Amino acid sequence: MKKKKEVEKFDLSQEAIKINNVNLYYGAFKALNNINMKISQGEITAFIGPSGCGKSTLLKCLNRMNDLVDGCKIEGKFEIGGQDIYAPKFSLQMLRKNVGMVFQKPNPFPMSVYDNIAYAPRLYGIRDKTSLDEIVEKSLTGAAMWEELKDCLNKSALALSGGQQQRLCIARALSVEPQILLMDEPTSALDPISTAKIEELCSQLKQNVTIVMVTHNMQQAARISDKTGFFLLGELIEFDDTEKIFSAPSKEQTERYITGRFG
Amino acid sequence: MDKKRNLSITKEGVAKTIFALAALFAIVSVISIIGYLLYAGLPAMREIGIFKFLFGKVWSPGYEGAASEKFGILPMIVGSTIATGGALLIGGSLGITIAIFLVYFCPKGLKMPLTQLISLLAGIPSVVYGYFGLKQIVPLLAKISPNGNGTGILAVSLVLGIMILPTVTSLAKDGLSSVPSKYFEGSLALGMTKEQTVFKVMVPGASSGIMTALGLGIGRAVGETMAVIMVAGNSVQFPKGLFEGFMTLTGNIVMDMSYASGIHRSALVATGFVLLIFILILNGILYYVKSAGKTWEKDERRKLRQLKKAERRAQKTPCKVVMFFDRLNDKFIASNEKVKSKLKACRDRVAAKFGKVFNKDGGNRTYIAKNGLYKTLKYICCGSVIIMLAVVAYLLIFIFVKGIVAFRKIGVINFLFGKAGSGKISLAPAFVSTGALILIALAIALPIGICAAIYLVEYAGKSNKFVKIIRLFTDTLSGIPSIVFGLFGVIVFNDALGLGYSLMSGGLTLSIMILPTVIRSVEESLMAVPLAYREASYALGAGKVHTVFRIVLPSAMKGILTATILSIGRIVSESAALLLTAGSVRNMPKDIMSPGSSFAVMMYMFVSEGLYMNEAYATAVVLIILVTVINMLVFAFTPKKEKIK
Repeated sequence: MKKKKEVEKFDLSQEAIKINNVNLYYGAFKALNNINMKISQGEITAFIGPSGCGKSTLLKCLNRMNDLVDGCKIEGKFEIGGQDIYAPKFSLQMLRKNVGMVFQKPNPFPMSVYDNIAYAPRLYGIRDKTSLDEIVEKSLTGAAMWEELKDCLNKSALALSGGQQQRLCIARALSVEPQILLMDEPTSALDPISTAKIEELCSQLKQNVTIVMVTHNMQQAARISDKTGFFLLGELIEFDDTEKIFSAPSKEQTERYITGRFG
Repeated sequence: MDKKRNLSITKEGVAKTIFALAALFAIVSVISIIGYLLYAGLPAMREIGIFKFLFGKVWSPGYEGAASEKFGILPMIVGSTIATGGALLIGGSLGITIAIFLVYFCPKGLKMPLTQLISLLAGIPSVVYGYFGLKQIVPLLAKISPNGNGTGILAVSLVLGIMILPTVTSLAKDGLSSVPSKYFEGSLALGMTKEQTVFKVMVPGASSGIMTALGLGIGRAVGETMAVIMVAGNSVQFPKGLFEGFMTLTGNIVMDMSYASGIHRSALVATGFVLLIFILILNGILYYVKSAGKTWEKDERRKLRQLKKAERRAQKTPCKVVMFFDRLNDKFIASNEKVKSKLKACRDRVAAKFGKVFNKDGGNRTYIAKNGLYKTLKYICCGSVIIMLAVVAYLLIFIFVKGIVAFRKIGVINFLFGKAGSGKISLAPAFVSTGALILIALAIALPIGICAAIYLVEYAGKSNKFVKIIRLFTDTLSGIPSIVFGLFGVIVFNDALGLGYSLMSGGLTLSIMILPTVIRSVEESLMAVPLAYREASYALGAGKVHTVFRIVLPSAMKGILTATILSIGRIVSESAALLLTAGSVRNMPKDIMSPGSSFAVMMYMFVSEGLYMNEAYATAVVLIILVTVINMLVFAFTPKKEKIK
């Protein structure tokens, strides 16, 4: 069983994510225009830009959540670990198992904390209690909330605070040991203290997981990311080291945005 | 890996097919009901001739094949039509005014109890209404009747009126509450009084909803059987006056079906077919009204047409209209530039035409005088509620007082749980039969209904044509009268499948009857499950089937429970269909293949035999208590938001 799992993983050592000439349409509306991008393993990448610029759309393409949207058409190529994830024979399950996602609003299932985390491992066939217990502890520890929650694993997840719920969602995503974690404005619905906790968590997770994050908060991008991509009206204006983007951007639009003159 | 993936893909495919088939079931049911009724009714229509059958004035079944046999259903058609008209006059006007009161004028504390009371009224079995009519309304009418006869059109209209009142009220209420509240606020902001706003803006705005309510009221009245035969007098003749006995289409079927054979039987099925066609046409009209109403909400052009109408009316009260237009200009319909400009043109025309009048009296007099009218309308609404409360109180007190006296006479324990048999009357068999019927019907309808709802919500796109067709057929199925289901059950389950009078046959018939209820309420609860749950599950790599069964269905459990309880309520109060399919024996059923009577059927038999009035009262009490409990359960499981609505 364990061996099989290793086979199912992506090989990210060369290159984690490669996005090639991507155009995306919602019906007649062109939401993404000729995007090219490379993301390497072990980095935190932040997507910034004003609302409706396509950054969340691009993020959702990386684990094919856009498949659920009616009338969404994608051109171009997405490669993860060198494999084309939109190839007809590509396994959606394998993709989503290895590319986890955390959503803007915390969305724990209406079940206990334990069942929330055990949901995905059970889906992948792990049934025995000890293994599940182990995974739950490991995932909660990974999300830095084992100490907080170890005594109330049977509590309903909906009874947790917003910040706790979001970290639980991160723990839930970690339960299947993803290689890449997509975060869609994970802190926009949270208070500053919870936000700080999640940012800290991201920095810790970086060692094992490649993180791609959409954020509206430029300070957040500056604080925790290694690379930053700036999007405007469906185009990737600039993509570079975070330090460079925030200190000496090469494009005028980027500078105007990060200095707050539009957006 | 590959193998596993293929496996899961086929699993998804199989599941989807199963769900789609379940969704098709409603369509199949409707079509086979039409088909089988036509098939079994055709011999009669052929032999008698369609024209002679529909417009023949004499219905006299004799010995089979005798020349004196005549099957003309015109008297029944006329009887049904007039009785329905009378019911609509009484129940419709009361229902709509009560709905208006409930939505706009009801004090907060009264809203909940009144709503609950109305849903209780909807749940009371028709045999109880019929018995109430027979024992109270008919004697009362006999006193004022010129020929000393209480039964007839008036009695039927009154009983049916009370029966359709909850249907009309709750649907009209839905229609009224779906009118956007911005219209209400907009109108108040223009300086109109609350009464004017309600009767001039909100009620016309809900016209399609009110039409639907009346339409379904007609459907319910036409299809009602058991209550009608208790108070109609049941002589096959044209209704000559308010107090002359007559027969309805449904009454004729249920009275004759138990002994009819050959052409006579086929003619009864054909009568059911005529009834079915009428209901289908009615449903078609309602569907049209509904979809037209929906576009109305979006369509600004329709509003413009209404404005033109207002302009025509303006000939009478020009000053008021000009004022109205003036104030309307920005707030009410400001969303569309085109409408706005036309509105202005409209206003100018009226002003130019009647400028003089307008300038003379400033427009205040008509304005104030009219408010008096609306105030009166409001008081009429309150009056309707009081009438309804009086009737309900009368009914409940009558049944309970008589019932308690009856229980004393026959003994509670003995009657409820005593051993039934030679000469001894007991309700124990009814407990068993009703329970068996509920189990059989739910065992079939719940899985099919849940699967169908899953298909509609989770698999089919929202604007999918297939979904629209399934909804149409589900609505149609829910509008078909129970007597028609009964006929279908007799033809298919009792005869074709050879089940005979049996609980099995009754349960199968019931399962089709409750299917629309199950589909609808499960569908609603599935739609209430947040999309975020599904997204989270998909994002972890779960497939659709897994997500549906692990995440969506558990979250929708309350809705499924509500569906179950609603279905039980429907089964408990059902009588006409069961009388035809499960029989009306009074002894304990041996197994599910033996005949058995539910509470309602048992009560009908007590009444119709005329020997067991005390038992009938006692059964009525049991039925009302059952229905009340079911109602309270439904209320407890409905989400809070809807309760307030």
